[in-house]
Amino acid sequence: MARERVEQHPATGNTLVVMVGLGIAFLLFIAFLNVVKSGNILSEANLLYAALVFYAGAGALYLGFGVTGTDAYIKFASLMTWAGLLANTGAVAHRWYGAGHPPFASIYEMLLSFVWTLAALTLIAEKRYGVKVIGTVTMPVAIVGVILMQLLPSEVRPLVPALQSTWLHVHVTLAMLAYAACALSFALAMMFLIQDKVKTEVFLAATSVFTVGIYGAILLRFEKWGGLNVIAWDAQNKAEVFISRGVRLFVTIPDLGWLMLLVFAAVLAPLVLYILSRVRKNESLLAIADRAVFLSILLQSLALVFFLLRVRNGQYPSLDADGLYATSLATSPFILSALVGGIFANLLYLLLLWRRQDLERLLPDADALDRITYKTICIAFPLLTLMIAAGAYWANRAWGSYWNWDPKETWAAITWLVYAGYLHMRITRGWRGRRAAYFAILGFAVVMFTFFGVTYLLPGLHAYA
Amino acid sequence: MALPFRSSSRKIWQTLSSIKTGVVLIILVVIFSAAGTVILQRPMTDADDMQRAYSPAMLRFLDVTGLTDIFHTRWFIALLILVSFSIIAASVQRFPNAWRYYARPYKSPDESFRKVLPTQAQVPLANYDEEQGLSAAERALKNLGVPAERIVRSNSFSLFAERNRISEMAVYIVHASLLLIFLGFIVDSVYGWRGFLMLSPGTASNQVELKNGALRTLPFSIRCDGTGEETYTDGSPKRWWSKLAVVDGGHEISRKEIVVNDPLVYRGLRFYQASWGRTGKLDKLIVDATRLNGATRTTQEVSLSMNQTVALDSDTSVQLVDFIPDFVVQDGRVYARSKEVVNPAVHLVVTSQKNNTSVNVWLPEIPGVDENAASSYSFDPKDLKTEVYTGLQVSHEPGQFAVWAGVVLMALGLTFVFYVVHMRFWVVPVVDAQGHSALWIGGTANRNRDAFELKFKKVVEQIQQELKIQVAAPSASTAAIPQRTMSGKTLSGITTAGR
Repeated sequence: MARERVEQHPATGNTLVVMVGLGIAFLLFIAFLNVVKSGNILSEANLLYAALVFYAGAGALYLGFGVTGTDAYIKFASLMTWAGLLANTGAVAHRWYGAGHPPFASIYEMLLSFVWTLAALTLIAEKRYGVKVIGTVTMPVAIVGVILMQLLPSEVRPLVPALQSTWLHVHVTLAMLAYAACALSFALAMMFLIQDKVKTEVFLAATSVFTVGIYGAILLRFEKWGGLNVIAWDAQNKAEVFISRGVRLFVTIPDLGWLMLLVFAAVLAPLVLYILSRVRKNESLLAIADRAVFLSILLQSLALVFFLLRVRNGQYPSLDADGLYATSLATSPFILSALVGGIFANLLYLLLLWRRQDLERLLPDADALDRITYKTICIAFPLLTLMIAAGAYWANRAWGSYWNWDPKETWAAITWLVYAGYLHMRITRGWRGRRAAYFAILGFAVVMFTFFGVTYLLPGLHAYA
Repeated sequence: MALPFRSSSRKIWQTLSSIKTGVVLIILVVIFSAAGTVILQRPMTDADDMQRAYSPAMLRFLDVTGLTDIFHTRWFIALLILVSFSIIAASVQRFPNAWRYYARPYKSPDESFRKVLPTQAQVPLANYDEEQGLSAAERALKNLGVPAERIVRSNSFSLFAERNRISEMAVYIVHASLLLIFLGFIVDSVYGWRGFLMLSPGTASNQVELKNGALRTLPFSIRCDGTGEETYTDGSPKRWWSKLAVVDGGHEISRKEIVVNDPLVYRGLRFYQASWGRTGKLDKLIVDATRLNGATRTTQEVSLSMNQTVALDSDTSVQLVDFIPDFVVQDGRVYARSKEVVNPAVHLVVTSQKNNTSVNVWLPEIPGVDENAASSYSFDPKDLKTEVYTGLQVSHEPGQFAVWAGVVLMALGLTFVFYVVHMRFWVVPVVDAQGHSALWIGGTANRNRDAFELKFKKVVEQIQQELKIQVAAPSASTAAIPQRTMSGKTLSGITTAGR
C-alpha cells in the first residue's frame, strides 16, 4: 500500500510546503504593506489576519497530509498552527485588555475564544495523543471561524448589567471547555468507527442526514414566492431591527428560497439513493450516490456564494413593515455556519471515500480510540456539570432563581442526562466499541443543538449567546 | 397472603432499582423536557400569543394535559420523584456489596485469585530469602507512595498495599448529591415563591405582586431611599442601583445599596435589582419665571412639584396642575399618548389675587389651548425631573442551600469517580514450577488501567533491580514483566505456580 502511494505521488517531497510557504510569505508581505501605511502593527485586526494566514497554511498542509499521508507536512503544519495560535493569543489578549473583560460577551468574542481553544486542542491532541490527522478537521473549522469573525460586528460593546459578573466568565469558560471536549470525543468516536470497519456507505447516510437536516432547518425560513427570510439589520446602530420588544423584523430575499429548495433536493438525492440501494440490495446505486454527493457539494457552494452576495448587499422588502431594509451576515451567523458546515461534512465524506485505507493506517488503533473517547467524555462530563452549576449560581444572583426551565437550561440538562446515560451504560453495562461510539456521537449532536439549535430556533433568556 | 405481597413488592423493588428502569425514566424526562422547550409555555407566553399559535381545540388539549406548563405539572414532578426513587433503589440495592468491598478489603489473595488476576508478575528470589524479597517489595511500593502492610499467612508474611479506597464509594457520593439537589428543588417548588416589588424613591412597601397577580404581604417592609441608572456613552444601561432599607416592626434594621448581581437578603427573602425605569409621573419641574409687566424684568427660578403652589410676588402665584409625558392635541384638547417621557407638556395655572384671574399656561405653547399671552409672567423650562422606580425581584427559595450543597458534593464525587484511582498491590512469596522460591506480585486498579500498568511495571522493575536480577533473563520461566494487558484480553507474563 505504501508503495502504491509513492507511485501515485512521485514528488511527495516538499512541493506543497514550498507552495504554502510562498503563499504565506506573499500574504504577510501584503499585510506588511498595509501595516506600513497605517503604522499600527499590533492591532487586533492585524493579529487576527496573521492568525488566519497561519491557520490557512496549517489547514492546507494538514489536508495535504490527510490526502497524501506525507509525514513531512505534519512538522510544518504544527509549526504553522503554533504561529497561528501565537497570533490568536495576541488577538485575545488585545481584546481582553481593550475591552476590560474576558472575550465572551458577544458572538464575535465567543468565536475568538473558540478558535483559540480549537487550535490549542489540536496541538494537544497531536503532541500528546499522536492523533495527527485531527488538524485536517479542526483547521478548516478554525479558518471558517476567523472568516466569520471578519463579518461580525467586532466593536467592543458595553456589558449590560446582567452580564457584569465573574460567574459569567466562569460559566462561559467552562462551557467552552466542555463543548470542546465533547467535540473532541465526537471526532474520536468517528475515527473509531472508521477503524472499526464501519462501511463507508453508513458514513454517506450519516453525512446526508446531517446535510438534509441543515437545509431543512434553513427552509423553515422559506417565504411565499421562493423568498428566504433573514433578520433586518440597522447599519447605523449596528443592531438587529425589532418591531416590538423581542420580535425581530424579517426581510425576504427573493428567489434565494428556490435555490435553497434546489440544494435541499440535491442533498436529499444521496440519501434517497442510499435507502434505495439498501431496499433493492443494489450496490451500483451507491456509486451514483457518491456522484450525487459530489454534485451536491458544488450546489451547496453555489448556495453559499449566493447567500453571501445577497445578504451582504441590497435592500429587501419585508412582510411586516413597509419600505426596504438592509440585512447583514451578522444577523445570520447560524445559517452561515450551517451552510459551511454542510459543505465541510460532505468534503470529509469524500476524503473518507477516496482515502480510507490511508486514514486507517494513520489513525491509532480502534481499542485506543475507544479508550480515548471514553477518557475525553470523563473530562467533558464534570466540566458540563460545573458549567451548569456556575450558570445556575449566576442566574440565581442575576434573576433570583437558579433554574428557570428556559430552553437553553433545559437542553443543557438534557445534554448532561445523555452523557450520564453514556457513562452508566459504559461503566455498569460494559458498553464498548460501536454502541459507545454511537452514544458519544448522539451526545455531541445534542450539544450542537443546545449551542446552535436552541439559539436559532427557541427563544429564551440566553439572548446573548 | 403475605407471600404474594412480598413477591410483588420485591418485583416492584427490583424493577425500580434496575438500570433499565433508570434509563427509561431518563429518556422520558428528556422527551418531556424537550417538548417543554418546543411547545409554548404558559406563564412566559402571553395568552394572546398562545391563542394565535394554536387552534382552540389544540390549546384545550395542551392545557388539559398540562403540556403548556410542563415543568410545573404534577405528573412531571411525579416523574422527577420517580427518578429519585429509582436512584435511591439502585443505590440501596448495590450499596451493601460495595460497602462490604470497602469495609473489608481483600488483603490476602488465594490461589484462584492469583491465577486470574490480569496484571501480575513473578520475580525469582534466586539466592535471597523471603524476608529480603518482601522488604525490597515494601521499599518499591513506598517509593510509589503506596505503603504496604504485612499480612500474616500460615507460615510466612505477604504484603498488601492500596491507595484511595474511597474511590469505590464515589458513585454513591454522586448519587447522594443528585438526591440532595432534587430535594432542594422539590422544596423550592412547593414552598418557594417569586414576586415583584416596584418602589419609587422615598416610598416603602410590604406588598409583593406574585406571578399570578396575587399580592403577598411581607412581615416587614422595604423602603427605597434612592435609585439610579448609569449609562454608557451610547445610552445603553451600564449599572442600575437602589438604596434599600429594611423596616421591621417600625425599626430600620439594615441598609444596602443593591445592584444587578448583588441582592439584599433578609429573613430568607432575596431582593434583586431586576429593572429600572420611569413611572411617567413628574417629580420636580424647574422653570425661570420672568415678570413681563413691571418696570424691571426680574427673573426668578421656581421649583415646582405636582399640585404645588408657589408665590411669585405678593399678588401672583403659580401652581403646577398637570404633567403629560407624551402629549397630543386633538379637537382643542390635550391627551396623553403614552407614559413614556418623550414629548412632555406641563400645565401651570397663574393666579392673581388682586384681579381674581387664573390663566392657563402650557409649556411648550399649544396653540388653541394655552393662554400664555395673557400671563403676567413668562416661563422658561430649565429642568424636568420625572419620577423613577426600581423594580425588585423578590424570591424565597428555602431549598437552595440543599442545591448548592449538592453541587459541591457532586463536584467532589465526580472528582473521585473520574480522577481518583483505587489501586491495590499484593506481594506473595511462592514457589515456581521449577521449585525455586519467587515473589508473586499482583495489582489492580478500578480505572485508568493503562497508567496503572506502567506504574506496576515500574514497581516490578525496582524489585528486580534491588534483588539484582538480570532483566533480560534467557530462560522463559525466570523474570518476566507482563506486557501491557488490554482489559484482560491478552494475558502475558507467567502465571503463578502453586505453593
